[in-house]
Amino acid sequence: MDTAARPEADTSLIDDLKRGDPGAYRQAVREYSPGMLAVARFYLDHSSAEEVVQDCWVTVIDAIQKFEGRSGLKTWLHRIVANRCKNKLRSSKREVAMDFSESLEPELANRFNATGRWDLPPKLQFHDSADTLMENGALSDCLDKHLSALPETQRSALMLYEAHQHKSDDVCNILDVSASNLRVLLHRARQKIFLMVETFQETGEC
Amino acid sequence: MLMCRDLAEIASDYIDGELNRRQSLTVKMHLMMCKDCRTFIGNLRASSNLLSVHSASRPDEQFLRQIDERVAEALNNRGTKGSEPD
Ligand SMILES: [Zn+2]
Repeated sequence: MDTAARPEADTSLIDDLKRGDPGAYRQAVREYSPGMLAVARFYLDHSSAEEVVQDCWVTVIDAIQKFEGRSGLKTWLHRIVANRCKNKLRSSKREVAMDFSESLEPELANRFNATGRWDLPPKLQFHDSADTLMENGALSDCLDKHLSALPETQRSALMLYEAHQHKSDDVCNILDVSASNLRVLLHRARQKIFLMVETFQETGEC
Repeated sequence: MLMCRDLAEIASDYIDGELNRRQSLTVKMHLMMCKDCRTFIGNLRASSNLLSVHSASRPDEQFLRQIDERVAEALNNRGTKGSEPD
């Protein structure tokens, strides 16, 4: 059960954290660290990501005093992690600029004719259930490979929105992108996954 | 008139319920008539669901205990403000 999705359940936990209750911290660490670690992993390798999450929890002890609860606790924590990771990266890595004006992946855009009808329509229907698809270990590996090949912002947007079920506003907040750019990021990333699964189903290869 | 390509451009907005009523109705009308786009939307939605299932690995218990220790240490250094110590 996802207590993070229920603001009223957060309120008493937040009060306990503000009071510095060790039990509340143990509970919060268990509830929120998986998501925080996932956010950190978008930016950093495994051990640096763990380090950032640990550091964040220590800063939370003071920072929580100023937390007003306008965003949910989960979003607030994820934002702290994302900012810390970005600061860590700022010196070493440059973000690749993305063209937000084009909402179709070139590989998909090429599949329509001049009148805007499908030239190469999707041939196969994917299995209904995602669980069934994921039972295929090879597909799961392939998905990992494609996810790690996505541009950082696309991957972050996709994972926060899909895997961690954040609302659009929250993802914009955490990643510092506009709502319309987020729509493009999500759509482009999903198309890549769509194309990947299609190739996988047709050829059995990643 | 909404063409297949136009639909593909706004497919994620449709899936996520981000279109207004009129746009959403136009997409629904197209989908009723176009099998290829029905397959496309279905597959794009399946791709999206795939990612919700494929969530990140869980941190191990040892890592969580390390955090507990650092938090406990920091709480002790800070002292107990406005609350009784346990
Ligand atoms: Zn169509």
